[in-house]
Amino acid sequence: MKRIIAVLCIASLAVLGASAAFAAYPEKPIRVVNYVGPGGLMDVTSRKFVSIAKKFTDATFVVENREGAGGLVGMQAVLEQPADGYTVFAATTSNIAKVLTSKKDVDEFIWGFEWIAMLMKDPECLIAAKDSPLNTWEAVFKEAQEKKGAQLWTGPAAGGNDHLMAMKVWEKSGMSAKWIPYNTGPEAMMALLSGQGAVYVGNPADIGGREGFTIVAIARKERSPKFPDAPTFTELGIQGLEDEAMWRGFAMRKGSPEEAMAWWEDLLKKVAADPEWREFLEKDGIDVVDYGRPEFTAQIKKDIEDSTHYLKQYGLIK
Amino acid sequence: MEILSNLAEGLGALMAPVPLLVILAGVCVGILGGAMPGISPSMAVALLLPFTFGMSPAMGLVMLCAIYLAANYGGSVTAVMINTPGTPSAVVTAFDGYPLTRNGKAGTALGISLIASVVGGFVGIAILVLFSAPLARFALKFWPAEYFALAILGLSTIASLGGGRWLESFIAVLLGLLLNTIGLDPLSGVSRYTFDVLRLYDGFSFIPVLIGLFALSEVFSGIESGEIGHPPAAPDKERSPWPSLRDYMKLKFSMLRAGVLGTVIGIFPGAGGTIASFIAYDVEKRLSKNPAEFGQGAPAGVAAAEASNSASVGGALVPLLTLGIPGSSSAAVLIGALMIHNLQPGPELFTKHPEIVNTLFSSLLVANVFILALGLLGARLWIKAALIPKRLLYPLIFAFSFIGSYAVRSSVFDVGVCLVFGLVGWLLSRAKFPVSPVVLGMILGTMIEKNLRATLMMGGFSLFVQRPLSLTLLLLALASVAVPALRERRAARKGIL
Repeated sequence: MKRIIAVLCIASLAVLGASAAFAAYPEKPIRVVNYVGPGGLMDVTSRKFVSIAKKFTDATFVVENREGAGGLVGMQAVLEQPADGYTVFAATTSNIAKVLTSKKDVDEFIWGFEWIAMLMKDPECLIAAKDSPLNTWEAVFKEAQEKKGAQLWTGPAAGGNDHLMAMKVWEKSGMSAKWIPYNTGPEAMMALLSGQGAVYVGNPADIGGREGFTIVAIARKERSPKFPDAPTFTELGIQGLEDEAMWRGFAMRKGSPEEAMAWWEDLLKKVAADPEWREFLEKDGIDVVDYGRPEFTAQIKKDIEDSTHYLKQYGLIK
Repeated sequence: MEILSNLAEGLGALMAPVPLLVILAGVCVGILGGAMPGISPSMAVALLLPFTFGMSPAMGLVMLCAIYLAANYGGSVTAVMINTPGTPSAVVTAFDGYPLTRNGKAGTALGISLIASVVGGFVGIAILVLFSAPLARFALKFWPAEYFALAILGLSTIASLGGGRWLESFIAVLLGLLLNTIGLDPLSGVSRYTFDVLRLYDGFSFIPVLIGLFALSEVFSGIESGEIGHPPAAPDKERSPWPSLRDYMKLKFSMLRAGVLGTVIGIFPGAGGTIASFIAYDVEKRLSKNPAEFGQGAPAGVAAAEASNSASVGGALVPLLTLGIPGSSSAAVLIGALMIHNLQPGPELFTKHPEIVNTLFSSLLVANVFILALGLLGARLWIKAALIPKRLLYPLIFAFSFIGSYAVRSSVFDVGVCLVFGLVGWLLSRAKFPVSPVVLGMILGTMIEKNLRATLMMGGFSLFVQRPLSLTLLLLALASVAVPALRERRAARKGIL
């Protein structure tokens, strides 16, 4: 089925791309491989990116979906392709944690990639039900102390990015609680609304369009312009959570041509400055970035370090 | 009244060539996708998602919802005609639909499944339009304890699925539950029985298993019995009459009951149309005057299965529109569609873009009418499927099984899974084990495990009895197993005396 989509996309895009410039890269369609299904967060992001990128390039993009094993299937699919720069992996923070929790080879699954373009930082935040008595950080913290570790926090999969954030908050604030994982973020939010937990860990966009939620703390240096009422962790007296975010970006196999990687870095700079792209992300309180290889690689290193530390501490890996 | 005028407004907006064509296209794609084994409703919706990017948000949503609704009906066509459920929720439709076809009553089976789908669809939409706010509040009463209890209630339906073969059904359901332990642990992410095979991390993909157990095993049995050479029993007009209005009227309460059940169960994320159809079928069988007819070609069985799974569409949209939370995997794709158009799913949609919501509601009604029309037209064609000689049909089923299995995740591994489960299904039916409990076990296994463990983390076993809803559901489940067993014992004792 995905092949059919791919063929249809190529066919329709080939018509548009017939006037492609004679640049050395890209001289054929670029496949953007997603690890989520159509309509998933990264899928929507890649399709939007591609549609805006068309303002700046004649290149043809084909967005593909290779789901499975929490992203490992998609990563492997890209690693099996030649390192020619024509297969790009659409990655998010959760891929890094997934490689670590499933004990895959970091050198192969993470450093087998060149991390070329980081598009955004979606700040992590703690969300509570508006009508709950626990709708401020102080109240949450106080109850957590009283319950001595039995307070429940909700969110998606164990060991994922949001769970990691929860562990960071517990450590930095000196409290403890239990993580109840749900199938998806929205299900965990529904659980919060029905009183199953005290806090949901997610991103500001999660409360958009949904009634009854409030952000109790956000992991940003300053308050988010889109959510000015949400205090930062620093304001609440918790240090070390100034820059915790879920990122999305693109990666290519290690050993891909320098020209291809530089082309993507350059493309990202153009897209990141585009008003339509900024509006698409900023309306959800997401920070637009245009990181190239050095900054993105540094981010990946920090993620591996953090994940390993917390996953070990809470016994998810040895 | 306000609701009616809103609906009328929405309908008015749809009465133009383009919207009608969009709905028609959606219904066509949906029926075809649903009928293709391997393409579930959520996949059919996802498949067409990229095509809606260029449409207006309202038209895009209208088309996707039409596909979703139609795919739930489409699945019944192949279930009835060749015992191959095109969608997971059509498994139950095959229980009685296929025996009807085998008895030369394909017309009856197709007619009832179509009308039940349409009636169920209307029930679901009506409940969605009228009661979505209170239903969303009800959905919030469900904690993991209740989800666990609901799954147990679903599991208790095997008591009536096996048709008296208690031990075999029990073993089959255990097999399904055990198969579910393969893959990543749903709570801690530890990998279980995966042998480091990446493709096993998510467990067995449900659709290849389904196709194998039902479609391929049927082919294997056919080959074994040497049916290939024989000309099939021709279901001509005389012998395969279309049901009369009276036949439908007899089933009206079955359809309505199943419709309401389907809508209510459809609300809960993770439960959805499949469990709804199992439970609705079970209810009808228990209420029936001749329960022995079920599994042999009971019209009420087909009606219950189809009405409930079509109604679950309306149910799944309740939390999507009121809370911004998808009630099914298809509804989750709809969220993606909303997002790409810069719309936020959730209550804000009603206040900020009421016209989109009104159009959506009205379009579901129109789509349902189109399903009826296309279903009636198509039935003449589908009924011919029973005329295809087995030596042509079997290779076709084989080919479609493989394509369908591959299509789910573009994976050859899944083709192997389909083949293996074809053999498993064939061996099971040779040994007179029912196959459907395996499916039920696989659907419910993860739900049971996850919610049991989540409840234990939240407060221990006592939560199951402390929470009134969970206690009620568990008692219902207990009764639904115990009552027939006790009755049987009493009957046996009387027989001895």
